[in-house]
Amino acid sequence: MRKYTEIAKIYIKAQLVWRADVALNMVFTVTRILFAYLLWGAIFGTNTEVAGFTFYSMLSYYIISAFLNQLDMSGLISNEISTRIRNGTYSKYMIIPVSIEKYFIAMEVGVVAFYLAFDFIAAMVWIFIFRIKFIFTTNVVTIGCTFLMILLGLLFMAQLNYYLGLLTLKYQEIGMFLMIKNNIVAFVTGSIVPLVLLPKIYVSIMKLFPFYYITYLPSMLLIGRYQNEMLVGLIVIFLWCVIIQILIQVTWGKYRRKYDGVGI
Amino acid sequence: MINQIKKNSRVISVLIKIRFQNLMMFRLGFFGPFFVDGSLFLIQLIVFQTIYLKIDRIGTWGRGEMVLYIGTFSMINAINMFIYFFGVIGIPDKIKSGEMDLYLTKPISPLLRLTFEKINPGSFPLIIMSAFIIAYGINLVNIQITIEKIVVYVFWIIVMSILFYELEVIIRSISFFVISNSSITRIEEAGLELCMQLPGIAFYGVYKLIFCCILPYGIMATIPVQSLVGDLNLTGAIYGVMVVVGFTVITCLIWKRGIKNYNSASS
Repeated sequence: MRKYTEIAKIYIKAQLVWRADVALNMVFTVTRILFAYLLWGAIFGTNTEVAGFTFYSMLSYYIISAFLNQLDMSGLISNEISTRIRNGTYSKYMIIPVSIEKYFIAMEVGVVAFYLAFDFIAAMVWIFIFRIKFIFTTNVVTIGCTFLMILLGLLFMAQLNYYLGLLTLKYQEIGMFLMIKNNIVAFVTGSIVPLVLLPKIYVSIMKLFPFYYITYLPSMLLIGRYQNEMLVGLIVIFLWCVIIQILIQVTWGKYRRKYDGVGI
Repeated sequence: MINQIKKNSRVISVLIKIRFQNLMMFRLGFFGPFFVDGSLFLIQLIVFQTIYLKIDRIGTWGRGEMVLYIGTFSMINAINMFIYFFGVIGIPDKIKSGEMDLYLTKPISPLLRLTFEKINPGSFPLIIMSAFIIAYGINLVNIQITIEKIVVYVFWIIVMSILFYELEVIIRSISFFVISNSSITRIEEAGLELCMQLPGIAFYGVYKLIFCCILPYGIMATIPVQSLVGDLNLTGAIYGVMVVVGFTVITCLIWKRGIKNYNSASS
């Protein structure tokens, strides 16, 4: 465990080198909030309530989901693995005395820990600038369970990206697939619009998949809605973490011999 | 003038031939841009279909106008990806590495070569997909389509594709003057992401100034749609043309100044 803590610490320190990136990341959280502010501002100009949302509860939803989205830096994992396998330098991770998957999870923990405070400050600034009457639950149990769900969600995304990165061993070039994945994930996690706007049948199907519990449900829980889905949510996302872990083991066992360390 | 056009046309046709030969060597991911951007705009379409399940209008626009907007933005983006995007995005690297020397020593305009040397035929299906989205939007809006309206719409699509091109060139030309332009390209990404989802009619006050004047991504698809549905007045049309003319002048000035400022690999 100690060596993974050290890896996380190294990545926290490494972020300090990219100070401009940190500042820009904070500034660009505004894009999604500005989108919500203008779009829903125009919509709520003629409607007082849409799908149970008021203007301010909608903006609160976007603030929280933008914050959670910004925290998820797991895209780095699949890109790093894919690039390294393609140019033959993945050996770097194979020769060090650590579990490669745990290494990348520790890396994610380090990066997330560093950005956590900055993203929180950014969210506060946008609430102040856009004069949003921020809605947030006061129920301690809900906050605690949501926090756990967020952690499991971040873990799942790290596992998913690790798994996708490993697919480079078989398919060699997955860059295009990763970009398509990003487009789809942005929608199915409810980062573009709350999933409650979709027809009920689609929402019911989405509840079977993990993406519903990554950003959407935690955001809804934190604005005080869907408390009844909390426990089921925790169980489903946990099960998906287990399933993808099995998939990772199988994939790694099956394809690791394909890596020749030469590059394409 | 005519001789220059003939010469440039020959150059462009040679560049396209070379590009095809190159693409045949690297067939992997030929249709990559189509799948990536296609998925992006299809999701956009689903998002607004979803929103319109709950409401009737966003501002003055109904579902049809919004579908037309997404189709039009997708079309301008498709033209961008098909013709010049992959050439223009290489400008900063060529400046940093000094590779721009090779472009300056050739007896053709470096910008012309950069613009047409990386045409991407794999993006062509995006144009067809966008046309289908536009046709669907027209069907939803239920407007009378005349030849005159189509001609005007196509005119605006071409004009706005030029504006998109100019914005891309301006942003990449900043590399002539600074070490890294990554912050500016991120502003471009953020502006595009926002305006891809929001039509110009949703902007007001300072947002209108930013997205309809300083970074005019907000008018790129809005004006063609307004012209098609009959919402575009004379002032709006003149404004659209003025913005494009203004940005053409700015692009020429920045490019020429940049080339003068270019010091080979030490830039």
